[in-house]
Amino acid sequence: MTFLSLTNLKRLFMILIVAAVVAVMTGTPGSSTASPTTGVHGSFLERVSWFGLFAAPRWLLFLTLGVIVWLLMSLYRPRARTIRRGIDTVFAFPKELTSKRSTRIALILVALIIVLLLPKFVHESFWMYLIVEQIGVWILLALGLNVVVGFAGLLDLGFAAFYAIGAYTTAFLTGALPMPALFHHPIPTLWVIPIGILAAMIFGVVLGTPTLRLRGDYLAIVTLGFALIIDDFVETQSGVTGGGVGSSAVPHPSLNLGFWHFHWGISPTPYYYLCLVFVVVFILVFTSLEHSRIGRAWVAIREDEVAAESVGINPLKYKVMAFAVGAASGGFGGVMSAGLVGIVNPGLFTYQVSVNVLVLVIFGGMGSIWGVALGAIVIQTATSYLDNYQPWGYQINDLYMYIGALLIIMMIFRPAGLLPSRRRAREFAAAEGGEDIHTDEVLTGDQP
Amino acid sequence: MNDQATTDQVTTDLIIRAEHLTLRFGGVVSLRDVSIEMRRGEILAVIGPNGAGKTSLFNSLTGVYQPQEGSIMFMARDAAPLSVIGKKAHQIAQAGVSRTFQASRLFSALNVFENIKIGAEDHRGIGLVGALVRGPGTRRGEHRSDGVVVDLLEFVGLTSEANLIASQLSYGARRRLEIARALATDPEVILLDEPAAGTNPSEKLELAELIRRVRDERGVSVLLIEHDMKLIMSLAERLYVLNFGSVIAEGSPAEIRANPVVIDAYLGSSHEETKA
Repeated sequence: MTFLSLTNLKRLFMILIVAAVVAVMTGTPGSSTASPTTGVHGSFLERVSWFGLFAAPRWLLFLTLGVIVWLLMSLYRPRARTIRRGIDTVFAFPKELTSKRSTRIALILVALIIVLLLPKFVHESFWMYLIVEQIGVWILLALGLNVVVGFAGLLDLGFAAFYAIGAYTTAFLTGALPMPALFHHPIPTLWVIPIGILAAMIFGVVLGTPTLRLRGDYLAIVTLGFALIIDDFVETQSGVTGGGVGSSAVPHPSLNLGFWHFHWGISPTPYYYLCLVFVVVFILVFTSLEHSRIGRAWVAIREDEVAAESVGINPLKYKVMAFAVGAASGGFGGVMSAGLVGIVNPGLFTYQVSVNVLVLVIFGGMGSIWGVALGAIVIQTATSYLDNYQPWGYQINDLYMYIGALLIIMMIFRPAGLLPSRRRAREFAAAEGGEDIHTDEVLTGDQP
Repeated sequence: MNDQATTDQVTTDLIIRAEHLTLRFGGVVSLRDVSIEMRRGEILAVIGPNGAGKTSLFNSLTGVYQPQEGSIMFMARDAAPLSVIGKKAHQIAQAGVSRTFQASRLFSALNVFENIKIGAEDHRGIGLVGALVRGPGTRRGEHRSDGVVVDLLEFVGLTSEANLIASQLSYGARRRLEIARALATDPEVILLDEPAAGTNPSEKLELAELIRRVRDERGVSVLLIEHDMKLIMSLAERLYVLNFGSVIAEGSPAEIRANPVVIDAYLGSSHEETKA
């Protein structure tokens, strides 16, 4: 019987170890004053109630869960191929649906109507607020990072830097920082939008020009470093940025056209529409870039930089461009968030933010604009829901554990993302089939 | 005076002149004092045993490697001679030196049409505004590159495969696609690194025919590395033989075939044994 084969029992053993680790991770915290092992003790021996049905010590619970997972895996293994194909057919349906131009346009129109009318359905302003702050802004960030990671294939682990640039530019120009505003003349938040976008783009060029000569892992580490520098700068230069406290005096945007005056106040709905307009604009801009000469050059660089150079493409130029273009939307995200919440402080732009944006992009489907937007909506909705309702004994600290698990499952079953871009899916398929992977046998050898 | 005139005559006739190239990787010398002259409009071949430095020479000529010593001049038809060393690969490609790779390096997730189009497009300038606004200039550019692609598809015989993904093509078709992509940059000289590697005999004949047409119909000078002696002897007008990073012989196919040094390099000690 395959269930009790040695390999399968080994697998059970591994799963139980993982279950034990998860039990400790999610269990009661230890204490440094009392016995440091209280956490481990409690994690296993504490009695918990499950759905109010029964109470059992945690070790029993996790043992049961482990065995269930093992049983499911044992059942899944022999049928893996069929199940995978099933999943693919389910996901192929929307792809087929959108292959026709007319249905695609109809779908976009329906989606547009839904998002336009959304404030009519969401009555609680708290949720409306979350939709803008937790979903809208994150869509902007994900769309921006998608240009860098998805289009140009550059792993950027410091995207929060651009977000921070946008937000701090807003705070600076509106006079909310300890440092006086430009020319001692604060300007309204709304007018900061183009300047914030431009500032982020310039910063993208400044950051990109020296670093984008690096490839792959090296680039990722440098971008990480830059984000940490920005974070540190903001945190320590209290005379300039307000330090760890930051500023909580960023004014709400307002528009004065003489005949028409509008003030974005406490209510989140106007922000929703402002954000929506820019999301649509960025989607249009990025879509048209994707299908332009520049988009094709990005694909070429992503697929094979040496070959791209051999047809006259300057990789550095196009990579810097990807950085700047992606930074635009990240920077706007910062302006938006600062204007809405009125607060800027270093805690909002940590490394965690960069990772989270990257998760959205990978989950949604690198290189796929609609996939990334959908991914941001799905994950951010789930996160907001979990954080605010805390169902099933969920704790905020556990969030990244679940997101990590989600990504692992995703990578196994749908490595190209929720709605993969066609090209990316092909690249993944080719890599899986072991086909056409360029081993750099001819051109490696770091030039001395 | 007369002498001066003749050298000038020769210079204008040349398209690439590489002199005293030495390329080292740490302690390994990959090219040792290699000098090569290529005339405009010829099919020139570089042959030699494995590891002789053929691909290193190609990589030096196209800016992928930077030789430590020596000079490379590229004489484009309507431009001042360009010193290749120190230039980036993309600059050399833009100047008119195009190439293919030993292990074909296509954009494998793109279709045949897109592969060639990327080569045909002008990658100078920024083009950010053009990409967003799609003004008449941008559209004209797109139209022009589409025209180039259609023309090249026909030239290499891939018109009916235009919509296939590059990785779906047969080996021979991939080789032709790579040549088409290289030609799309409108080069004056094309460097082909083992274009017939991995192809079957009938595909080899097609490729030889195609390479000849590249020169005859497109006026592009061809520099070629190849292992298949039959192919190279029928195709090349002149050959350089490399061994251990140095040029050991130069001449017409007939001369090379009769050259004892070359026979020695290729057959090595076994040749000595047969003589003995």
